[in-house]
Amino acid sequence: MREPSRTAAGKGVQFSASPVLALKLPVWRSRVVLFALFAGFAALAGRALWLQGISTEFLQKQGASRYARTLELPATRGKITDRNGQVLASSMPVKAVWAIPEDVLEAPAEKIRELARLLDMSEKDLRKKLDSDRTFVYLKRQVEQDVTDKVAALNVPGIGMRREYKRYYPDGDVMAHVVGFTNVEDIGQEGMELAFQKNLAGVNGSRRVIKDRLGRIVEDIESVRLPHDGKDLALSIDRKLQYIAYSHLKEAVEKHKAKAAAMVILDVKTGEVLALVNLPTYNPNDRSKLTGAQLRNRVMTDTFEPGSTLKPFPIALALENRLVTPLTNIQTAPGKLTIGKATIGDAHPHGVLTVQGVLQKSSNVGTAKLALQLQPQQMWDMFTTVGFGQQPKLGFPGAVAGRVRPYKSWKPIEQATMSYGHGISTSLIQVAHSYMIFARDGDIIPLTLQKAGDSPIGQRVISEKTARDVRVMLEMAAGPEGTAPKAQVPGYRVAGKTGTAHKLVGGQYANKYVSSFVGFAPVSDPRIVVAVMVDEPSNGFHYGGQVAAPVFSAVTANALRALNVPPDSTVTDIIVPANPVEESM
Amino acid sequence: MSGKVNAILTAALVTCALFVVNSQYQSRRLFIELERAQAAAKQLEIEWAQLQLDQSTLAKHARIEANARRDLNMVPVTPDRTQYLTMGGQ
Repeated sequence: MREPSRTAAGKGVQFSASPVLALKLPVWRSRVVLFALFAGFAALAGRALWLQGISTEFLQKQGASRYARTLELPATRGKITDRNGQVLASSMPVKAVWAIPEDVLEAPAEKIRELARLLDMSEKDLRKKLDSDRTFVYLKRQVEQDVTDKVAALNVPGIGMRREYKRYYPDGDVMAHVVGFTNVEDIGQEGMELAFQKNLAGVNGSRRVIKDRLGRIVEDIESVRLPHDGKDLALSIDRKLQYIAYSHLKEAVEKHKAKAAAMVILDVKTGEVLALVNLPTYNPNDRSKLTGAQLRNRVMTDTFEPGSTLKPFPIALALENRLVTPLTNIQTAPGKLTIGKATIGDAHPHGVLTVQGVLQKSSNVGTAKLALQLQPQQMWDMFTTVGFGQQPKLGFPGAVAGRVRPYKSWKPIEQATMSYGHGISTSLIQVAHSYMIFARDGDIIPLTLQKAGDSPIGQRVISEKTARDVRVMLEMAAGPEGTAPKAQVPGYRVAGKTGTAHKLVGGQYANKYVSSFVGFAPVSDPRIVVAVMVDEPSNGFHYGGQVAAPVFSAVTANALRALNVPPDSTVTDIIVPANPVEESM
Repeated sequence: MSGKVNAILTAALVTCALFVVNSQYQSRRLFIELERAQAAAKQLEIEWAQLQLDQSTLAKHARIEANARRDLNMVPVTPDRTQYLTMGGQ
């Protein structure tokens, strides 16, 4: 028997006659298919609804990441200027060159050689940097714009650049200790850069934008967070005076073969620090060979025994308490004074001296005799009020307090030696600051390193009369008969006091000296206080009157001229005796 | 009647859509211009800072003094060679 269906199909039977149609299938089978189809559509619709309507975040995020970009808006660090607005430190945009080592190493050798040449490093060093497992290395930071343009033109694969800032210091070593410097991340490390880090540093901003195919920004999609640039900082420093002080001090250091030196100039009216110089110094633009000695800010952070520069204070106190008048006679013969077991002495016996003479000739015996009439507490109070043993409120990093021992433990010999500046330690800025009371008719004002508009209100320490009396004595000390005739300035009346102290080395007084001079000018209406300190002058001279006073004279003459101060003296020829009085130590 | 209304509304819709497209384009174009201007401002600011720095570098007192002494043969002034004029003509 033959299969009819097979014959029919093979022969092309008409569709309607197909026996398959005649087959009666159960209805549920078609229903299942229909249901499966609709279920499929329902699932798609449900998924679409889920993605488009309910869980939208994921897709929107994915979409945004393909057209939106977050840009960082860098803030610039504030400039530091001097009191006249001249730039002392400024940040300029530069670039950091980084690399993906794997990609760079695939570049031809001559390109790598050229890259090393552009980055100013040897090819060996460059290859050493690239020979690392990391996927990102900085090749060189703070590269200037013209170099990075050439690097970009070289078109080495795997080289990228990041924008950053470099700080420039046009005054270099002259201003180094005041301004300080920042590190490679533009964060303050020293000086005012460190002290005012918070104000100087800006806050970076950011913005979300849509970029088009060509990388152009077409739209902001969120509100822009604007960058806040750092605030500019105007220092109290006068660039001109700073240079004058620096150049003369440098000359003195070379002439006297000194180990170090420091100088500070203060404005008597406003308490502003007009100049602050330390030697040795360094160039903040190139700090590759920096040593600790260069970094040291001796004006602020070094304490020394000030020596005779402290003598005016006990004398002022004795005058203030009406124990003596400027013309009271004091017996200083035989130039020696024994207190307890110890003996103090003068370099030369002076015989009977007036109180004026004691300061003018810088007699240790005379000062000690006056000091022993004072209560220890009075002396201590005075030292403390003028700032000795107190941390200077300058906001300058590392400023030291110095040391004044508590008066309760003072022995008479200590009180005597302290009256001429031994057994007490101060920084140069403290001594300069304390002389404000003589330059300012008896009151003292706080110091500042920032430009100040108005003059602050002073705190009275001694009466106006005492201040004027001491001023006369200090002028005599800086005159032809005093210990510092070389401090005289042609055209101006100056007043000041020398100091020469042995240095303490390992608790013993060594044959090394610190010469200093603190003074102010012009005497008729003081404008500036100038303090000079020369550490270990070792070219034959070590007295303050020979080493520090000439620096004071030269700097004061130029500074007063630079400040347009009218001369108050007609004396243009200065008398410097062949053998001026040597002070006592 | 309703056919006419539909036609007018469709025309209005298309016109509005075209205006939207146009104004979007304009806004982007202006935005890019603004961007450019802001970038230029930033660049000028940098240049200004650079010039200030240059001024400061060139006006270094060490340099001025060296130039005055070497090139112009100048010497520092001293009070004995200075004629002072006082206010009030005394």
